[in-house]
Amino acid sequence: MNDENQENLKELFEKFLDAEQAERNVEDIQKAEEILREHPAPEPDAMLIANIKAEIAMRLPARRAYVFKHITYKAACAAAAVMFLTAIGLNLFQKSPRKPNGMQLTSIIPTAIWDSDDIAAADADLAIFTTEIEQIEDELLTLQSGEDEGNGDSTITELEMELIEINNSDFWKG
Amino acid sequence: MAKTDDLAQIIIGCKNRDSKCFSQIVDMYASRCYGYFYRLTVNKDLSDELLSELFVKLVEKIASYKGGSFDGWLFKIAANIFHDYLRSKQRRKKLLDVQKEQLESHFTEPKQSNNEQIDKLQMQLTRLDTDTRELIMLRFYSELSFKEIAQMRSEPIGTTLAKLHRGLKKLRELMR
Repeated sequence: MNDENQENLKELFEKFLDAEQAERNVEDIQKAEEILREHPAPEPDAMLIANIKAEIAMRLPARRAYVFKHITYKAACAAAAVMFLTAIGLNLFQKSPRKPNGMQLTSIIPTAIWDSDDIAAADADLAIFTTEIEQIEDELLTLQSGEDEGNGDSTITELEMELIEINNSDFWKG
Repeated sequence: MAKTDDLAQIIIGCKNRDSKCFSQIVDMYASRCYGYFYRLTVNKDLSDELLSELFVKLVEKIASYKGGSFDGWLFKIAANIFHDYLRSKQRRKKLLDVQKEQLESHFTEPKQSNNEQIDKLQMQLTRLDTDTRELIMLRFYSELSFKEIAQMRSEPIGTTLAKLHRGLKKLRELMR
């Protein structure tokens, strides 16, 4: 038995028991272990030891071969996975209709809003609308300058009617 | 310290799959491990088998040894092998038969059984319960400290101390 362990035994027992009891317990253990030493167990046969060593020697190359095979299979699997993913990646880029050649600009406002199905009609409507606005501006200026000699109420009524007419027209709805 | 360094070198050799280093480990531990198995099983053939199994396991598991007490690590494997043996129904029956034979011959002179002579100590050991016997054998053959044994058995050190003291005291009385 380890001397170091024996030395610590009393100390260990003293953690749980009083010094006298601890010493008695250590003595019990030491005497019992002396009995164990006096009655040694049989030794293993030399043949058994030789067989064990032979079996270990036999298992070692097998183990090495297994480890080598295992590593090879792992490497092959990893290589296959990389090749597969590369092939998929290349395939995707080649077939892609949009190549990332440069920056593309676009408006966030749908172009349909600015477009008109009938450009000529839209231009004519715009011309009429501009003329009406100009006419209203002239009338307002006349009113502000006090040059209108007619009835002021009737002028306002006329303006209101023109605004209602503009409002009711559909040209700006597209 | 030199012994510890030598052992460390041998273990490194084992991890590098050096058969000579494994042979050295077998030479260093076979006797103690065999004694441990024999005192627990009381059967030479079975002890031969368990010892072989232990060293085969050592070859398989040496890579998982991460330092610390090698004796503790090896005897932990030995204890597991013994427990596996106990769990095996067929083998358990065999053990009980052997123990029955021994109990029948308890008050007679030691006699030849299966070409083995059962010594007085072995007869008295069989009168202890399996757990106590295992603890005594683990302490005696592994030469581990109580702290290591308690850790291995996942129990408080006080429990280990008390069980071992009680068991050895009883064994001493039986041997008188």
